[in-house]
Amino acid sequence: MKDTTRSAGAPQATPAVGSASAPPPSAEPAPRAWYRRPLVVRVVAGLLILAIWQIVVELWAQDYVARPTGVIRVIPSVLTEKLFLSDIVTTLTAVVEGLAIAVVIGTAIGLVVGRLPDAQRVLGMYVNGVYALPIIAVVPLLTVWFGYTPKARLAVIVLEATLPVVYNVAEGARAVPRTYLDVTRIHRAPWWRVWFGVALPASTPYVLAGIDLAIGRALIGAVVAEFIAALDGLGYYILFNVNSFHEDRAIVALVVLALSAIVLRALVNVVVRRGFSWYWLA
Amino acid sequence: MTASRTPKIRVDHLGKTYGDKEAFTDLSFDVAEGEIVSIVGPSGCGKTTLLRCVVGLTTPTQGSVSINGQRVLEPIEGVAMVFQHFGLFPWKTVAANVAYGLTVQGVSRRESASKVAELIGLVGLQGFEKAYPHQLSGGMQQRAGLARALAIEPTVLAMDEPFASLDAQTRDVLQLEVLRIWEARPTAMMFVTHSIDEAVLMGDRVVILTGHPSRIFDIVDVDLPRPRNRATVNTDRFRMVRDYVWNAIMKEGHRVVGDPETAARPAPSSH
Repeated sequence: MKDTTRSAGAPQATPAVGSASAPPPSAEPAPRAWYRRPLVVRVVAGLLILAIWQIVVELWAQDYVARPTGVIRVIPSVLTEKLFLSDIVTTLTAVVEGLAIAVVIGTAIGLVVGRLPDAQRVLGMYVNGVYALPIIAVVPLLTVWFGYTPKARLAVIVLEATLPVVYNVAEGARAVPRTYLDVTRIHRAPWWRVWFGVALPASTPYVLAGIDLAIGRALIGAVVAEFIAALDGLGYYILFNVNSFHEDRAIVALVVLALSAIVLRALVNVVVRRGFSWYWLA
Repeated sequence: MTASRTPKIRVDHLGKTYGDKEAFTDLSFDVAEGEIVSIVGPSGCGKTTLLRCVVGLTTPTQGSVSINGQRVLEPIEGVAMVFQHFGLFPWKTVAANVAYGLTVQGVSRRESASKVAELIGLVGLQGFEKAYPHQLSGGMQQRAGLARALAIEPTVLAMDEPFASLDAQTRDVLQLEVLRIWEARPTAMMFVTHSIDEAVLMGDRVVILTGHPSRIFDIVDVDLPRPRNRATVNTDRFRMVRDYVWNAIMKEGHRVVGDPETAARPAPSSH
């Protein structure tokens, strides 16, 4: 069979035969200028931003406003502070726990909402409403129900993280290409094969998008809950240090918070991309 | 097995109306066992809808479809379909896709392995069992789609413009490939296409749909010898049938010779 297949490898270079414009094979590519190397440019840009921050603050801001030199000076002591390290663990553990619960609940609800048009019509309005609520308004209520305990933080995280997952899974379940559904119908596949064998895998990219959003909202929820319920954690660490005029330490914690968001999202990307090669059922 | 007089597929005064728009009306024809019937007509004439009614994916508003004497109201056993956009599940390998029909029937992976391997060989995809659809060209994906359809040993094969998404050369290659594969196990087949050449090349008979709403203009016996090959399209008989179908479908100004009323309707040849 002479079908042309898409080659997985890179195309091979065709040698220029006797062409005057071809570079001599022994020459090496000229070293790239520093401004052409992406990594170098990014580092330089970052340093430039820090320099501008430093200069602006030195010249025009009050003494107590934080500046890069101050932050860098406290980094070692913050990173070795036991309280700080345990706070990281506390907050991130809660976020991961909450995300796991949210993904399970969110996927289940999302599948139902996506595949049953009646459910959409009935629940859609309520889901939209809760999604639009500013979480900061809901947390005080949740602390009343769950007390000023880590349970309240978990509840906030789950609430904030579930909705983006629901939305995206519903969208994915609704958008299953008609041809796939035709295939399941022609083969007279039972409902659970359609939902778990086709609708779910087909919506995996949407689940990924949902989790991405959920991570951001989960972190916000965790920090807000810690602020309002005075719970030990990264968020509270920031608040506490700002209030006690240790802004530099707070900024270090802030950077760590940002980094955890990036790392979590990268991790999810890796895990779910691998997941594409699993079969869900048979 | 004795040859049965009951047609494999019977379409009986079939009609489909969407709201106040009538797609097609009063379609009646049979497909016999081991016969390929091509269905061709202008774009939008409802030929895909017709096919979907026959396999039970769509419910007609008038008339009925019977397969093996059994009325079709929803997909039934023994009916397989090949889709224009292939319909392979991207998260399954080629082998898993081909085995899908058997998997749904509850056949274990071990039991279906030999049948899957045989079919993958038949359609020319040896070596690609563990590949994923996105790694295959369109032509190869459609071969896999065909293998999947054949895996359930269907008594009726429905092809919905199977080559419309492929480039012209792949299309030409696959037309003869499908015929070759079909010769190995001739199955009653309904072949929907908008290519008149393809309809004549593939079919034993051609159902011509025209008009608004669509009706059967005529059903022509192709009467060309099998197995067909690339030389078939240059024979006089092929041209005669093709020109007749073309004239039937095309409006004035695009017709080949005169108009359908005066151009000779191809009589069954001496084959």
